[in-house]
Amino acid sequence: MRLSARIAAAATALVLAGPAVTACAPATSGAGATADAKTGTLRVWLFQEVDNAPKEKVVQQAVSAFTASHKGVKVTVDYIPVETRAPRIKAAFNDPASAPDVIEYGNTDTAGYVKDGGLADVSREFTAWQDAKDTDPAAKESVTVDGKIYGAPLFVGVRALYYRTDVFRDLGIAVPTTQAELVAAAKRIRAARPELYGLAVGGAYTYGALPFIWAAGGELAAKKDGTYTAAIDSARARQGIAAYTGLFGDDNCPAAKCARMGGNDTVTAFASGKAAMAIGGDFNHQAVEAGAVRGKYAVVPLPGLGKGEIAPAFAGGNNIGVLKSTTHRTLAVDLMKELAGKKTQRGLFDAMGFLPTYGDVRAEAAARKPYAAPFVKTLEAGAKFVPATPGWGTIDASLVLPTMFQEIVSGRKDVGAAAGAAARKMDEAFRK
Amino acid sequence: MSTARTGSRRAGGWTPWLYLAPALIVLGGLLVYPLYQLGLISFLEYTQAQVSGGEPTSFQGLANYAALFGDGQFWQVLLATVLFAAACVLGTLAVGCALALLLTRIRALPRLALMLAGLGAWATPAVTGSTVWMFLFDPDLGPVNKVLVRLGLTGFQDYSWTYGRYSAFALVLLEVVWCSFPFVMVTVYAGIRAVPGEVLEAAELDGASQWRVWRSVLAPMLRPILVVVTIQSVIWDFKVFTQIYVMTGGGGIAGQNLVLNVYAYQKAFASSQYSLGSAIGVVMLLILLAVTLGYLRLLRRQGEEL
Amino acid sequence: MSGVRATADRAGTRRAPGRFLPRRPWRLAAEAGALLIAAAVAFPLYWMVLSAFKPAGEVQSTRPLPWTLDPSLDAFRRVFQQQDFGRYFLNSLFVAGVVVVVSALIAFLAATAVTRFRFRFRTTLLVMFLVAQMVPVEALTIPLFFLLRDVGTAVPGIGLNTLGALILPHLAFSLPFAIWMLRGFVRAVPAAVEEAAAIDGASRARFLWQILFPLVFPGLVATSVFSFISTWNDFLFAKSFIISATENSTLPMALLVFFKPDENDWGGIMAASTVMTIPVLVFFVLVQRRLVSGLGGAVKD
Repeated sequence: MRLSARIAAAATALVLAGPAVTACAPATSGAGATADAKTGTLRVWLFQEVDNAPKEKVVQQAVSAFTASHKGVKVTVDYIPVETRAPRIKAAFNDPASAPDVIEYGNTDTAGYVKDGGLADVSREFTAWQDAKDTDPAAKESVTVDGKIYGAPLFVGVRALYYRTDVFRDLGIAVPTTQAELVAAAKRIRAARPELYGLAVGGAYTYGALPFIWAAGGELAAKKDGTYTAAIDSARARQGIAAYTGLFGDDNCPAAKCARMGGNDTVTAFASGKAAMAIGGDFNHQAVEAGAVRGKYAVVPLPGLGKGEIAPAFAGGNNIGVLKSTTHRTLAVDLMKELAGKKTQRGLFDAMGFLPTYGDVRAEAAARKPYAAPFVKTLEAGAKFVPATPGWGTIDASLVLPTMFQEIVSGRKDVGAAAGAAARKMDEAFRK
Repeated sequence: MSTARTGSRRAGGWTPWLYLAPALIVLGGLLVYPLYQLGLISFLEYTQAQVSGGEPTSFQGLANYAALFGDGQFWQVLLATVLFAAACVLGTLAVGCALALLLTRIRALPRLALMLAGLGAWATPAVTGSTVWMFLFDPDLGPVNKVLVRLGLTGFQDYSWTYGRYSAFALVLLEVVWCSFPFVMVTVYAGIRAVPGEVLEAAELDGASQWRVWRSVLAPMLRPILVVVTIQSVIWDFKVFTQIYVMTGGGGIAGQNLVLNVYAYQKAFASSQYSLGSAIGVVMLLILLAVTLGYLRLLRRQGEEL
Repeated sequence: MSGVRATADRAGTRRAPGRFLPRRPWRLAAEAGALLIAAAVAFPLYWMVLSAFKPAGEVQSTRPLPWTLDPSLDAFRRVFQQQDFGRYFLNSLFVAGVVVVVSALIAFLAATAVTRFRFRFRTTLLVMFLVAQMVPVEALTIPLFFLLRDVGTAVPGIGLNTLGALILPHLAFSLPFAIWMLRGFVRAVPAAVEEAAAIDGASRARFLWQILFPLVFPGLVATSVFSFISTWNDFLFAKSFIISATENSTLPMALLVFFKPDENDWGGIMAASTVMTIPVLVFFVLVQRRLVSGLGGAVKD
């Protein structure tokens, strides 16, 4: 296959050499592979966690199970730092010789990787797979682009409301059940305890803001005839944006400090005892436990507009995918199923706290570890996903939404103008 | 000084090229050729889809440049970059030269302390340096504001350095000066040490002020070194990336602290629009080239040769 | 300032640095000022080391203390327990070492050529060496990636995923600056030395390696500091060109592990940074003397 790729590349180069301007054209890579070997070595890239040993153990079990049932197959697993994923995975697409067969990837990257021509379409195998019947709809959406499936969800991450039980008790505030109560509670706490933020919010905290937009019935974008159009400037979305940006101010979270904060900063503020509430993920649980507020906080789903409603959370998380360039497609898909299967997900939850993507496995997990319950509840209520299009990657990387929130919060633009500008930039990205 | 030196230079036939050969091979292969490709890419449509062979490349002429120059934000960022880089260069040179003078006037122990502190700042990875500075100046969790408030500057209670455009730039400026002044300090100090003592003693006996000694004795003698540190500072500070990216969260509130390199990264590399990124790279290169050549020409007019 | 004196001076003992110290009260004030400045400059470094030793919840807290009563080695443990940490360290050392030595040698030859000879395109070349430093490195990684990929298939050992893929680009990026810096040192060696050598019948090669090289050596040490730091602290090439062969990763990879969207491990970041900074500081302390005497050579003529 390497030879055929080389020939393909050479042919491409020859074609490009035609016009004088591209006399020495920049390189491109060949297209996908055709071989499907049934033995050999499979290479896997997984993300390296700060405390990676428990993850390695669970993965090792899955790999042993896989090699036991597939004779003549070896599996090598490499752990790569998350921070380096973008150049590495792109490099893998560009240099099939260095490319692995199976990768773990962040679910917001799905559409971009598909557009780059890197991920293999596994719709047929996924649909036929027994485990996949229980896959959460939001998680399934995160591996789907244009109706085709490009991997199996490995775990989900959602955010919920962390709050200080001691502060709420001292001030006699009930746990908020609606967004209005949430805002009122935040302001009351700030007034009574000016050293605290009521609800820590961040101008660069997109995933903390999205639930407000979704709760108001707004959407990031609408899909029509296979193309996306920005909907961030619709009346409902604007109402959500106004609700979120209304939380910036001296009566809750002063714009001067909160406008630049991202998710990490708001969680840090909460963990260090600087905020009475924050929107944090299940993955932040450990950091908060290590902070000053240990034993003085609890977590509930982020309330929506009406009583008892839960604001739709963003369904973050990672997937396992098969690379298009693999020369062991069948084996690679089997390994994907093993790594993202129910058994491995159960193990990963116990070892790492990663929330399973299967409804039944998750319910069982929440029963075992109570801290997971509010996050599971949030997921059950229906989490949402960002538009599954490569344009989203551009929008995310060029900070369109943080810029919008920051423009409003710092008083540079009103909600309508900022949302309009963001919608224009989003449309431009969707068109590309 | 320079005329005497020229006499030592010989026309050596092929010898200089022989000596240059290894450098030229390495630079030709690993800098000039990629640079040529960079220029080429800036005229093409070249995104990840083209790179991985999904779509054919197509010649776009000046379209990438037109898109760039047609964007109002580009000009704003360009202006901010030039002003910010100029401030960084001036700050670095001023601090570096002043501390180099100070080094010549103190005994070995305090000199070693200052030197080591400077070298430590120089050796710190940029990512870490920026992160630590953010910690120090954090409005809630940083010690700097607490100390300022305790000193009676109550205005700094809860003061956010990164909210205002200018205070954010000022903070990044401080960090850039912190990590780049040691280069200037050590180099200029070494230069002063090499100046014959009699020259300085004579000037001091004349009762000339510190500033006069620097202006009319040291600076002219140190000129070759000052030229090098100035050019290097211009080149480095114009390309500041990590500090802005880390300290202002990718370009500040609503992009107010963007500089060209970060802008290019956001516009292009983060979303794989390599052609646009290459175009910005080419523009940056041309600007730097113009500045440096202008500076060299100025020097040459003053009788300095390369 | 005739050249002969200058060289003799550089080769022999140096003047006592305290020779024009100002009078006592002023000197004490200057020294106090210098110590204060040193403390201020070192403070961020101190904070970095301190944060590395603080227990998890204390790294970022509402009451930042300039000390910790409960120092913990947990963060360092997380750094050192990483798979292959020792290997990364050796890789970094090897890459930086090769770049330092090879770039010093190549730059020495090139600097000699542009300062001691007259030939066509000399000025053009000098300007080219400057231009080479102006290229935004981020932009150049894309063409470099393809170059290394293609070259790697023809010549093993320098393609993607090898340490050669780190050494070569770093060499290319540190050379122009090294040549520019070295120019001054080579120029400072007076023509008389060369003429005397010629009269003694020394060959050109002998002059180059046995006379010029030792005289310029302090300058080489000074410039090597730059290539060492830039190679040692590089993240970009390390994460762009080492793709599948994790055994060829360098130290920055051990630091990047602690950066994660929404859950950075600050203690780990600070501990890894401390571990990364120490070798550079050691290198500095070792060459400090030579660095100063070396850089000084660039002024003389």
